[in-house]
Amino acid sequence: MSAPPPIPASARRAESPHPSSPAPVAGRRRARDTGRPGVLWAVPGLLFFGLFAAAPMVLVAWLSFTSWDGLSAPAWSGTENWSRLWSDPAMHRALRLSLLLTLLSWAFQTPVALLLGVWSAGHQRSRAVLSAVFFLPLLASSVALALVWRSILDPNFGLAADVARWLELGDANVLGSQRGALLAVAFVAAWQFIPFHALLYQGGARQIPRSLYDAASIDGAGTVRQFFAVTLPQLRNTAVTSSVLMVVGSLTYFETVLILTGGGPGSATTIVPYLMYETGFRAFDLGYASAVATSLVVVATGVSLLMVRLTGFGRMRSTREGM
Amino acid sequence: MKTVPPATAPPPSRHRPLWRRANIPAGAGAALWLAIVLIPLYILVSATLRTREDYLERGALALPTAPSVESYRRVLAGDFLTYLFNTVVVTAACAALVVVLAVTVAYSVVRTRNAASRRVFQLFLLGLAIPSQAVIIPVYLIITELNFYDTLAAVILPTAAFALPVGVLILVGTMRDIDEETYESMALDGAGPLRTLLNLTVPMSRAGIATVGVFSALQAWNGFLFPFLLTQSRDTRVLTLGLYDYVGEFRVDVPALLAAVVLSVVPIFAAYLLARRQLVNGLMGVGGR
Amino acid sequence: MPFDLHPRLRTPAATLAGAVLLAGTLAACGSGGPSRAQTLEVWTYQDASTHIQAEAVERFNETSDVQLELVEIPGANYQERMRTAMGTPNAPDIFFNWGSGSISDFVQQDMLVDLTDTLAETEELRDAFVPTVLAAAEVDGGVYGVPMRGVQPVILFYNTELFEQVGAEPPTTWEEMTELIEVFQEEDITPVALGGADAWTSLMWLEYLLDRIGGPEVWQRIETGEAEAWGDPAVEAAAQTALDLIDDGAFGSTFLSNAYTNDGVSTYFAQGRAAMHLMGSWEYGSQLANAEEFARERLGYSTFPVFSDGAGDASAIVGNPNNYWSVNSELEGERLDAALEFLKHTTDDDYLSALVTNGDIPGTAGVDDRLDDHPDPEFARFQYDLITEASAFTQSWDQALPNRAATEMMNAVDDLFSGGLTAQEFADTLRGVS
Repeated sequence: MSAPPPIPASARRAESPHPSSPAPVAGRRRARDTGRPGVLWAVPGLLFFGLFAAAPMVLVAWLSFTSWDGLSAPAWSGTENWSRLWSDPAMHRALRLSLLLTLLSWAFQTPVALLLGVWSAGHQRSRAVLSAVFFLPLLASSVALALVWRSILDPNFGLAADVARWLELGDANVLGSQRGALLAVAFVAAWQFIPFHALLYQGGARQIPRSLYDAASIDGAGTVRQFFAVTLPQLRNTAVTSSVLMVVGSLTYFETVLILTGGGPGSATTIVPYLMYETGFRAFDLGYASAVATSLVVVATGVSLLMVRLTGFGRMRSTREGM
Repeated sequence: MKTVPPATAPPPSRHRPLWRRANIPAGAGAALWLAIVLIPLYILVSATLRTREDYLERGALALPTAPSVESYRRVLAGDFLTYLFNTVVVTAACAALVVVLAVTVAYSVVRTRNAASRRVFQLFLLGLAIPSQAVIIPVYLIITELNFYDTLAAVILPTAAFALPVGVLILVGTMRDIDEETYESMALDGAGPLRTLLNLTVPMSRAGIATVGVFSALQAWNGFLFPFLLTQSRDTRVLTLGLYDYVGEFRVDVPALLAAVVLSVVPIFAAYLLARRQLVNGLMGVGGR
Repeated sequence: MPFDLHPRLRTPAATLAGAVLLAGTLAACGSGGPSRAQTLEVWTYQDASTHIQAEAVERFNETSDVQLELVEIPGANYQERMRTAMGTPNAPDIFFNWGSGSISDFVQQDMLVDLTDTLAETEELRDAFVPTVLAAAEVDGGVYGVPMRGVQPVILFYNTELFEQVGAEPPTTWEEMTELIEVFQEEDITPVALGGADAWTSLMWLEYLLDRIGGPEVWQRIETGEAEAWGDPAVEAAAQTALDLIDDGAFGSTFLSNAYTNDGVSTYFAQGRAAMHLMGSWEYGSQLANAEEFARERLGYSTFPVFSDGAGDASAIVGNPNNYWSVNSELEGERLDAALEFLKHTTDDDYLSALVTNGDIPGTAGVDDRLDDHPDPEFARFQYDLITEASAFTQSWDQALPNRAATEMMNAVDDLFSGGLTAQEFADTLRGVS
């Protein structure tokens, strides 16, 4: 029952570039080595990636030890930013909110994405057509979707106002209440990203060997029991991948917050990336903002490394299976 | 490890009770989600066909009783086409850069079997974990130093760099699926690395390359943070930033704002209709095989 | 052959070269346009009045060798974008700003041209401006900006029809204000429209409350860097009064999700759903554009009420004394001369009459005989008297403070209005700011 889903052979090979076959005879080796590119072929890509992605990683860490207003040159300020970060209530609050938002996102997105994914893995025509509709939110940018939802949630002129009137809830103060705003961000992000994770689960579900269902069916298991006894355990690895991507993703919602709530009301939705933006590009305290950013890198890298440790990076490939 | 044959597209069978019986709770759940997806989309589209006054007076859900394309006209009369053009340039350049660089890197990783190439691959894997938001400050510094601030290059270069790890990952997967024997016969013909790449590896990895192209194109099309902080003027504004700025420009003219949103999604929607599979693969960043 | 690369190197090198070339081409087509050497970039905030600056630039270009190019920056975050660009080689040559705090960082880095002498020596500019208006362009004893738009005092707008309906006059004292709030609530009308999603609209209430309770001196002390002045009891009292307003339902229950920048609040006000709206004088123009009938028939305006035991008087105003053109100190020679020449045009006849026709009150002295050209001369006179007879003109706090302090203050204001801080905590937080 608990057999792991198949990992594509190619992924396993990724873990050991050296073939474990016995050493080839000398003649074959020569044939194998002609026509091979050297590692130098990777240099343009490396340089490019290094300059615009890897170097900034190093640079942001260095900047976090400076005081920089964006006008003059950064000036070394030692660990000042870091000790400030350590005791900054705004940072503590942003971290708490980020974690809360991550938790909310995970708890909301996982069950819906799982059910939708398994459901859409069926090959009925109706399901295929509906799935095509379900995945529509994936096409638009976060900015576009946040704008649409902002109009919908407008307390006076949006759908929210109508709904509040029909249900006699009084005013539609969703974005104006501390809890409502955070829930709104979580919901809009879920609306946007559930299709992505449903696709992961759809791929996973389609990989489940039919024989398992046949066996369960012979044992007299109904649809619901089959779901819990066969589908869920078989999707365990997909769930790990999806969850990790969700966690890393929700640490970095930015556009949604910027447009939907602007970090407010008060600082009720000022999550870490938004705090970084506000400190860096509104207060122009770029040194301190770099410390905030560095802590974001540390958290995200930590989660990713944990993922690599727990699942082996071959699993990264397995998110891409069955498509 | 023995690979169990997956149940992809099996013939309809009496032995698949999970999918055979009408599953009422599942159907109800799907219908509910359909409503959650469709109502906002309905508002989005129907609002654009109404006037500002009508929208403010009759609420978001009302039917467009007197459909008008005025909102679209208003959007198109502005700078929308400039933004669209900029977005197309950014998207094309990004996809081209990522494809070229990812192919060379992946080729080298797959075909050069030594510690160095393994390190290269690991570096790119680590790159998967860097959130672009976290490095926006140093990227701002670098772009400024390079004198690229407020140019399209300021958007293209970092966007491409951040799409590169996924591109490399996908192509390494795709290229590993090419048989060693095929390479050997190329080598026996005396083909050098460049000829092997162009005549064997690239044609055999076409699906993966398409996926990488689509993935990086989507990243560029929908990207916001880099244009937001690294460009200013109208001449360099891309669609996502244009949408953000429309809030200040169209104000409470929700129909016009939403018309701009619709127009910005139309090209991707068209791609979705024409090449759904490739687009979904690209969205997921999954290896096309 | 020294230049024959090893075969393994050839392709990657070509790729890299290609990528660099591509990047270079893109950079070139991005910055585009005529060569920068002969053109000056003029940045302005994009709104309904921008056409005035566009016309001024056009007039200037007709006679000048050095051409100006107007760049319009839309959206609520002009200040951030301008500040971001100033740190790059693409900084604007002449740019719109709010004076004092919005440019003080640049002055410290010697990035702006000191215009003190220019103003004193140029006939067109000498003594042209109202002193309180020019004062906001002063940083560290130098003048760094020339007024280029209208004076924008914050005004208490009200709906005359709703006031007639309940038989009330605009409030002149705080007691009348609190009574009115009760009256309108009983009528199921939101007493005061507030776009609390944009913290600067909430800030306007605090600015007036502090002025009326503690007098303008309290803010003057804060502005000059005396952080302890935030500890003045009037600050806490003003914050507490704002909290009382919220508790009494003066702003309705959805004010935190209402935004001003998308015109949501103005529309709500124009629809007759709220009785009063405290806003900058530009509200008149935007109502005229979006709800003309309302603006002409039912839009009333008044001064902020006074506190019987407060130190402030009814004639003191808060708001933006003006917007200013500042000049980048990178300019020299012919280009600098052109920029300074352009500044002179802020006082020429065409420019001033364009401003007045647009509904603005320019910050120049002696414009009263032009006021009849204003779309609503009565409103123009009201504003003009307000400005010229003001016992004090407090600049909007967020524009008066430098970016960092302003951001922290705005966060505190946002927290106060959304219930995250008590009045005392608010004052304590701010004491740590300056």
